[in-house]
Amino acid sequence: MLRTIRYAAIAAALGSAAQAAEFTWAETTDPQTMDPHAVNSAPVLGFLNNVYEGLVRRGKDMSVEPALATAWEPIGAGEGWRFTLREGVTFHDGADFTAEDVLFSYQRASDEASDTRSWFAAVSEVNVVDDYTIDIMTSAPNPIFPSSIANWMIMDSGWAEANNATLPDKESGNYATLNTNGTGAFRVTAREPGLRTVLEPFDGWWGEAEHNVTRAELTPIQNPATALAALLSGDVDYINPVPIQDVARLAENPDVNVIQGIEARVIMLGFPHEADGLKYSAETTDANPFADPRVRQAVAHAVNVPAILQTIMRGNAEEVSQLVSPAMNGFSTSLADRPAYDPDQARALLAEAGYPDGFSFGLKCPNDRYLNDESVCQAVTGMLAQVGMRATLDAMPVQNYWPELRADNYDMYLLGWSPGTFDAEHPIRFLAATPNEEKKLGSWNFGGYSNARVDELLPMVQSEIDADKRQGMIDEITKILQDEVAYVPLYVQPLVWGTRSNIDLTQRPDNFFILRWVTVN
Amino acid sequence: MLAYLIRRIGQSALVLLIVGLVAFAMFRFVGDPIDNMLGQERTQEDIDRLRGQLGLDQPFAVQYFRFLENAAQGNFGVSYRQGRPVSDILLERAPATLELAAVSGFLAIAMGIALGVFTAIRRNGFTANFIMSASLIGVSLPTFLIGILLIYIFSVELGWLPSFGRGETVRIGNWTTGFLTETGLKALVLPSITLGLYQMTLIMRLVRSEMLEVLRQDYIRFARARGLRDRVVNFRHALKNTMMPVITVIGLQLGSIIAFAIITETVFQWPGVGLLFINAIQFVDIPVMAAYLMLISVMFVGINLIVDILYFLIDPRLRADRAGAH
Repeated sequence: MLRTIRYAAIAAALGSAAQAAEFTWAETTDPQTMDPHAVNSAPVLGFLNNVYEGLVRRGKDMSVEPALATAWEPIGAGEGWRFTLREGVTFHDGADFTAEDVLFSYQRASDEASDTRSWFAAVSEVNVVDDYTIDIMTSAPNPIFPSSIANWMIMDSGWAEANNATLPDKESGNYATLNTNGTGAFRVTAREPGLRTVLEPFDGWWGEAEHNVTRAELTPIQNPATALAALLSGDVDYINPVPIQDVARLAENPDVNVIQGIEARVIMLGFPHEADGLKYSAETTDANPFADPRVRQAVAHAVNVPAILQTIMRGNAEEVSQLVSPAMNGFSTSLADRPAYDPDQARALLAEAGYPDGFSFGLKCPNDRYLNDESVCQAVTGMLAQVGMRATLDAMPVQNYWPELRADNYDMYLLGWSPGTFDAEHPIRFLAATPNEEKKLGSWNFGGYSNARVDELLPMVQSEIDADKRQGMIDEITKILQDEVAYVPLYVQPLVWGTRSNIDLTQRPDNFFILRWVTVN
Repeated sequence: MLAYLIRRIGQSALVLLIVGLVAFAMFRFVGDPIDNMLGQERTQEDIDRLRGQLGLDQPFAVQYFRFLENAAQGNFGVSYRQGRPVSDILLERAPATLELAAVSGFLAIAMGIALGVFTAIRRNGFTANFIMSASLIGVSLPTFLIGILLIYIFSVELGWLPSFGRGETVRIGNWTTGFLTETGLKALVLPSITLGLYQMTLIMRLVRSEMLEVLRQDYIRFARARGLRDRVVNFRHALKNTMMPVITVIGLQLGSIIAFAIITETVFQWPGVGLLFINAIQFVDIPVMAAYLMLISVMFVGINLIVDILYFLIDPRLRADRAGAH
């Protein structure tokens, strides 16, 4: 009897020892701040999703699920949303989570000093009903509001006030830039910017732990070859991304796994819709061929997307026909087909538009922003040349690229777009709406594409509660954008993660790494 | 003497000012930091506001003047990327670079002199010839390739040494050291070989050729004729006279070990100032770039100044020439 108990105890000890696991991972970019409201960028929000939580969160399939709110419902005929908050939740420092913290986090995240304030453009006011109920009122019905705030993270008001961090300070930093106090499954126990960030499980977390991680360390490794070597030698358990050209080689290695998926990011070609002439053309300087939809259609037919995916992406990406990928809410399934690769039709369209001999122009492209972006542009250049559109490719680092686009220094450009809200409305608002500084519309619509019907439909999409009607309007916009070839969508960028073979984890299409889904075997 | 000193210091200060000016003129070509600092949902208004706030809307000469003004008061600004004072970040990262530079400098000098003497004395031996041929690798292969090669052999294939980072460090006051932990020492091996290999082969080849030169001198022949033992001739008489030019070169190479640590640090993700600088370029973190470049140029100009003054003090011919010319 005693022996049995002893064995059981040993087995239990061994069992727990086997379960306890340290985990290290490497990403190219270090989260530049620990403040969830200071910077709206994927490396920061992705990392902080492990530490802070929002009212709602996204599950393994990107569906919206309860987090700090247990339920939510529209108020009246769409005047706002009522959230019922989870009781018994504590922050990492032990403070209780209440509606006051939600109100505080709203004020903090929607302030001028905050990068995340555009998420709250529709919010008119926030009312605390009681400790565990909060009303978020919107100026117009907003059906996607709950799913658009999955990255809005709740901070403890008392902690922020005590540490003089009631507002984010992006330029010179404050206490919240280096320290955290969330409600999430992990808490940050050490932070050395640019070097390492250590996480440990939060014992007081309200949820059921799915992971077996006892300590996790993030190290940024900028050089892809170094990151790969670190994974192969077992110094790290997970890297993101794996260079596309190494995927095949890694797949043969029994010690590592390659996890592939498609990201939310759509890669597309953009045009100068408003320009009077081409800037980088040898001969066509007083006319803008790209103002003619037939020429843009010709571009769509001239680019052999399957070939690009086969060679440059090594079969790891999917072609796409619209501004969002099929995984996004609001994807128009009836419009899923891309224009076929057809150089003859491209030539015919060019001739019809008055350019039987083609024309020369300048293609601008980043060389360190998207996966293999420069190679893709080189391929596009070659393909366009075959139908007579002779592009001069100018590829540059992304820090030089955006200023060039803002200054209209392009005849055609490459752009990738990942909708922060995971909804088709997002790219319409940023890329297709007529630029309007005041209404904060079309802020990435560099070419100034403008269509009155799209502008008319966008606010209707934003406030339509009925899902079918809403989809009908999005389909109409998608159809217009396809017919007018506002952009030429090419493909959805692939996600390639590498792990040691003893690691189980879940890859989410937004490229966020969620530590609480990690199992070390 | 005093006039010479003042003139040299004045020239050094001028060089520093010009380096800074050129650096600031170049920053605009590195790109625009704004897009990194603002997210996807920024508006033109945000862009203009932040640009005004950072003074980026000013001509570079004005930006440079502001930088100088602040730097003179010991304020190097706040990193755009990290939102912390640049001087704090530099101080935090300096130990990593200095320790790496010290170890690889020591390796380069010790191994370089030893191998140089060996190849000079046994200049027709098989081993010496082999070392000489192998040293070509050190001179001709680019640093990053050597680094990747070492990582592949010793980390990925053999699994003996860590592939990146500094291992565990111990904090002593403001200094973090990797010398006191096993992982810290292991982590130093590959990066210091990578960084020191070029200097080592350089010193080795220099020692060898100087030594061969000296060994041909009459006083060496006479020493041998007197029947002195080889060891005494080689090390007491020959090596001593070989060292003069070697020491000069070593002094000048010291600065480049620190400055060229950039590539080694990138390959090994070594958390020093070089890696910091590379990241700063990537994110157009102008305050960090400016401070780093000024620091490195102060170092180089300082070393050169000291060497010049030493020459002046040591070499009587220099003084005699000057006196004769006037």
